[in-house]
Order: sequence, then structure tokens, then C-alpha cells
Amino acid sequence: MNVLILGGSGYLGAAVAQACAASGAEVRVLSRSGRAIAGEAVRGDIRMPRLGLPARELARVREETTHVVLCFGSVSWTSGPGEALETHSSGMRSVLTFLRGLPALRQAVHVSSLLALGRAQGRVTNRELYTGQRFRNWYEYGKYCAERHVRDSQQDLPIGIVRFGPVLGPDPRGGRPDTEHGLPKVFPHLLAGYPVHLASRGDFPCWVTDVTSAADLVWKALSAPIGRSTWTWFDPARPTLGEVFTEVCRPWGVVPKIVEARPLGRFTRFIGERVGTPRELADYAEPWFDLDPGVLDDIPGPWPVPEADYLAATGRALLGRAEREIGV
Amino acid sequence: MKEKTVSVDTDLHPYFRIYSAGNFGEVAPQRLSPMSWSLVGDPMERGTRKLAQRLWGRPAWTEGSHYVFVGYFGCRPYHNLAAYCHLSRGIPGLSANDVTDAYFEGIDSPAEITALRSGRTRRLSAATRLLRELRDIGPRLRALEERVAELEWALRAATTANSPIALFSVLRDAKPVLEEAWAVHILTTSGCVPIRALQQRVYGRLARHGDEIAHWLTRPRELVWDRLHTAAATMDPFGPGDFLDSSFYEVADSSDPWQDYAVRHKLAANSGTQAAVAPIEPSEALAGMLSPWRSRTVRSLAVAVGEVMAGREHSKSLAMRTLHIYRRLLPELAGSLGVDPGHWPYLTIREFTDLATDPGLAARALPRIAACRVALGTPMPEHLDLSDGDGTIRPWLSESPQTHRGVAPGIGVGVAMTPDGELPDEPVVIVCSSADADIAPLLPFAEGVLSERGSDLSHIAILAREYGIPCVVGYPGAASLPAGTAVSINGSTGEVNILDQS
Repeated sequence: MNVLILGGSGYLGAAVAQACAASGAEVRVLSRSGRAIAGEAVRGDIRMPRLGLPARELARVREETTHVVLCFGSVSWTSGPGEALETHSSGMRSVLTFLRGLPALRQAVHVSSLLALGRAQGRVTNRELYTGQRFRNWYEYGKYCAERHVRDSQQDLPIGIVRFGPVLGPDPRGGRPDTEHGLPKVFPHLLAGYPVHLASRGDFPCWVTDVTSAADLVWKALSAPIGRSTWTWFDPARPTLGEVFTEVCRPWGVVPKIVEARPLGRFTRFIGERVGTPRELADYAEPWFDLDPGVLDDIPGPWPVPEADYLAATGRALLGRAEREIGV
Repeated sequence: MKEKTVSVDTDLHPYFRIYSAGNFGEVAPQRLSPMSWSLVGDPMERGTRKLAQRLWGRPAWTEGSHYVFVGYFGCRPYHNLAAYCHLSRGIPGLSANDVTDAYFEGIDSPAEITALRSGRTRRLSAATRLLRELRDIGPRLRALEERVAELEWALRAATTANSPIALFSVLRDAKPVLEEAWAVHILTTSGCVPIRALQQRVYGRLARHGDEIAHWLTRPRELVWDRLHTAAATMDPFGPGDFLDSSFYEVADSSDPWQDYAVRHKLAANSGTQAAVAPIEPSEALAGMLSPWRSRTVRSLAVAVGEVMAGREHSKSLAMRTLHIYRRLLPELAGSLGVDPGHWPYLTIREFTDLATDPGLAARALPRIAACRVALGTPMPEHLDLSDGDGTIRPWLSESPQTHRGVAPGIGVGVAMTPDGELPDEPVVIVCSSADADIAPLLPFAEGVLSERGSDLSHIAILAREYGIPCVVGYPGAASLPAGTAVSINGSTGEVNILDQS
């Protein structure tokens, strides 16, 4: 099995590369930086024609690749339409065209996001993508566009979709986890002792999972293989958003200040947004969508097992010290 | 005695003497025959003057027997850049750069003549009047389209009956229709600039990434070109789409030497394969990101700007259809009026119409033939600086470096293809020196457009937005890229990557 991972130098992409390499696949990681923590690194750009590969490299990739993982794209929840659609829409179309030119392609897997469902109406399963929902930000819309393009390509491409919610856990590339984008952007705010306003004090599921089990699931999708199906994966324990914040803050000895001021909820939320609540959280302060927990049953067993205590491990990684040093 | 040199050039404006081929340069042939100039430049001038009078009263600088807003030098049509920049300063919040970015490829604007500046009250009332005029373009265009269709039917009847009198009647009826078409085109073209500037300003206040959103949302809901290209497929010689098989702006595109300058290409293509489920548009996606009243304001403005853009394209198509009627009429009538078949392109439309009562006017063509021959041999720059008034042709040099600019957002990746090339199996990026509505049938198949010429509100920019594909303009050498070269364009930032496959 020769796996090409597009966007393989990112947080999840690196974990996928490790998982594939550990399972014995030949791994090739394409990224703009040209770096890889597992497998062969190839410098390229999915926004460029033919992935920006030189002719010789292109011929080699075309000839050898049998499996592809698509985990590229902006992960910022606050980006504008240009940044979000540049990779998720235009880049995805370009990549799908590239995949059509791979003679040995047997399976491709698109790493999508549950956030593509936006404020989905009604109970959603793996089948739904658009339910007349509204999108909170351009990231959600970008992920929706990407999955839309992939679904439209399933007629002529062997490509499956795996959906994740927010992916947490120590960064497989080492170092402090990125707190610039997505849900982790809230963590410094919480750890500094500032309050956040959440409906029901965050007592609603946020469909998180850990990066290791997410990467294992992608490998499973490649090897099973997934075919043209859609799988959704989250931590089966289904921690609520409030629990996620509590667990991440625990290694710091901090109890997150989660506030719900119901009579003046809109007003306090408005004030909160103006005085420093990260924009990322402001859009997700109310229950996200009603996802059918039975979607996990579409994944053939055995399921990957999330790392024990991965939420607290995220908090410890944020401390910037190894677990032993802080006596865990 | 030495014979006086005859020239076909128009007189200069006393103050405003910086001219630019600008939007003409992108879509019209490099040189126009005197007949075509009289059918394009003259009604444009009248239309712009009337608009200026309605908006600002009767500014003294827009009066006079000379041309104010357009010019015809060396048989090349020009816009008076300085005059248009001055007009822009007559609308509150608008600057000359808004105009040069929109229609003159972002070149520097000439210095303002402050003595002619309008007062604040007059500028405010002009903006109000302009908005009122723009509100009414829909009914005006519908009425105009009916009149153009009636002309086409009348031409069909007159040609079938082979009746010179009926043909002459069509010629007489076409004049007010052409003037109205150009007047609406001038109105929509002028209106696009301030309404778009207003849109960007409001978006900047109401929404995050306001400037980006304006690019993504501003799409005409429906352009007229699809309908016309469908009509052209019927091959009806008197149908509304027949003009698409001719050179825009030039009515003498079958006569020598004007046919050498005629830009004529048409590709009939089948409609593209549609996705099984149409993706949600960015404008719909935005609805959930803003509060209801902000969302309504943002979308209303996007619709308003899109409609003015669509009106601009519609009015242009009607002007081109009327010009096509002239294209059919003039050679037919020339014989009846006793004009040499090769001479009518050198007369003006007024002279041609008056030939019935004054046959001697036909003699005016002869000296103009010689003058045009000289003019066509003289290279004419894109931007003209005639401020010295000594007849010397100097280019207007922009100090700001010209860079390629994205005018329709998104990333386009594909292999280069010229508009007259064969469609390859791979995704394509259309590369051209300039583009007009004639490439509309290709756009559903294209991943992007890369053009040497163009501005923010060029016809090609509007078309690319309509089709939701990125477009980058101002890229030198685009048209000479070898077919099959891998190209990536970013219509948001203007970035262009040519992949070296070696």
C-alpha cells in the first residue's frame, strides 16, 4: 500500500502519517513546508496545478500511489471566505481532478468535519450534509463545500469520507499544541481565569475525539476499506463541552469559569464577545446540532480506542512540560 | 498651393486632455472606422452629457462643440480619463482612483482641476439623483429590449421584401434606439462605481472580512449573455443572438482595412455537466453568520450591485444588437444611395442618412480614406497625454507600477487555453489578451480566466463572477502562454503561478 497524504505536515495529518507508517504502509507526505515526521516528505501545494510537483516527482507519485488521504486546508474558525474556500473548495476541486489521473488509485479518504453540518436542523446522521442549515463561519462553509465536492465525485472516484468533531490531544509533532485556531483557542482564555458564557453551562456534547484514535480511524478507512461510505467518529464517552474545558484545565489547577446568565443571556454574551471571549467560542456557546450517536455503528469493529485521559494530556501539553516533570 | 491636411481626429477638450483607451481597449477593436465611431462615440458622448446634466445641472465644462467624455485619435476610440476622474469627484465618498481601478486598469489619475470642483450640496444631490436613476433601469431595459426586437423584426421584413424604402425606415428608427441603449449603458457603467464603493464601505462596518465578502457575494443573478448565446445556436440570421458572430463595436467588419482590426471569435459549446446537487452559494452561507438586519443589509446591497452589473451587460448587449442592425443595413442601403461599397465606412451615420437628400455628401469619404490610411499607420498608445495641445502624441505614463489584480475571487487551476483553442480533457484556465462576452460559452468549462487587460468592473470580471470562476487581469504575456501550460490563479489576491514542468 502506497499512501499519499495531502496536508500531512499538519496536526492530524502528522498523526495519520505515523499511523499509516506504523501499520507498514509506504507513506508519502505532501505539504507546502516539505516536512514530514513519518514517511517520505514531498514539497507541493494543492493550490497549484498538478499539486505543484516537478514532472519527475509527479510521474513517480502518479505511478506508485494507491491510497490517498485528504487532510489539507485551513483550520481557522475565524478566517474569511478567501482563506477558507481557497483550500476547501478550489483546492479540493483541483485535488479531485488530480485523483482522477491516478491509474493505481484504490481508495481515497477525505477527512471532513462535523462542523460542515453548521446549525443543522433535526437529527443528523452520516447521510445528511445539507439540511437547510445556517453556517456559523466560513470554516464551516468551506468544509461543507469540500464534502459537497467529494460527494459529487463519488460517482467516478473511490473516495470515502470520515468526519470528526474537534480533535484534541498532545501534538504528534511535539511541542506545545497550537492554540491559534479552533476550539483550543479558548484554552488560554480559560486557563487565565476569564469567564466564558455557555448555554446550560456547557452541558451539551461537542463530539471531540483524540488525535490518535482519529488517525487510527483514517488508517482503518484506508485498509478496511471505507469505499464510498461516510463514517463519523467521536469519543464514544461523549464528553460535554463543559467537561472538556474542566478536564483540559485540571492539570493547571484551574477550574474554568463557565457562566450562564439566563435572564440576560444574550446581553451577557454580547458583552462577553466585546471584552475578550474568543470569537471561536462565541459561535459555539449553544448546543451545536443533534447528531445521532448511532452513527458510530456504521464503522466496522473493532473501533479505535481513544487515549486514556487525552483531555488532561492536552492541558499538560499546554503547560509545555513533559508529564513526568509535573508529577503526573 | 499645399493641400490642407485632413484629419479624422476629434477636437480636444480645453482642460481635460488625458485620454485612455481603458475599457474601450479591452473590448473594442484597436481602431474603429469613422462610421462605427459615429455609432459608438457620438451617442456615448451625448448620453454622458445628458447624464451629467441631470446629476449636476449643466456644468460649463461639459458643454461645447468639442467632445468631452470620449475622443477619436488616429482612428482609435478613447475615453477622456481626466473628465471621468473629475466626474467621480462629484459624488461624495468617491475618488478618482475608484474610477481608474474600475475601468482604467488601475493607472494613475490626472491631477484634479480644483476650480471646477462641485459644491457639497451639489455632490449630495447628484448621488441621490444617480440612485434614483439606477432604481429605474429595469423597466428602461425591458422597454428598450422590446424596441430592439421590433427593429430586428422590421429588418427581417424589409430584407425579405427587398424594399429599400423599408430598409431606410429601419435606419431612421434605429437611431433613437441606439442612443437610448448607449444612454442606459453609460448610466449603469457610471452607477457601478459609486454603488460598489458604498457596498465596500458598508460591508467594512457591518461584517468581518467585509472587503472579501464583497468580492464573493457580488454576483449578477442572471446575465443576458447565456440567453443570447442560446438564441445564437438557432442560426437565425435575424435573431437576437446573430450579432455574437460579428466583431463588437465595428459595423464595417467585412470591409478592408477594418476587418483586420475586427476581433471575431465565437465558439458554440454545449452546456456543462451540472453537479447532482448544486452547492450552497456564499451569499446564502453568509445568512447565518450575521444578525438578521445585518444579513438583510449585506444581501440587499449585493443584489443591488449585482443588478446594476447585470444591467450594464444587458444594455451593452442591446447596443451591440442595434449596431448589428446597422451592420446589416448600411451595405444594403449604400448601393441604393449611390455610395461606393468601400466608401460607406468612411462616412458618419448622419452623413449617410442625409445622402438621400444631399448625394454630394458621399464625396466626403475620399479625403477621409487617405486620412485613415495615415492614422492607421501611426501607433497609438493605450493612454494619451495631449495636454500640450501641439498635436504631439505622448503616452500618459502612470507612475504606479501596474500589477496583476484579482477581479473575481477563488483559486483556478488548469492548463492554459486560448479562447479559439480546442477544449482539452483537463480543466482549463482561459488565457487571453482581453476578453468580452464572446467567451461566455466557454466559461462553464473553465476553472479561471487570466487576461492581459482588464479592470475591476470589466465585462470579463462581471462574467467571471456570474459563472463563479476566478479571474486575474493585468498579467502581461497571458495570451502568449503555450497551450497546455499548467497555470494556477488566485482571483482574490491576483497571484499567478505558472508551473515549470521541466
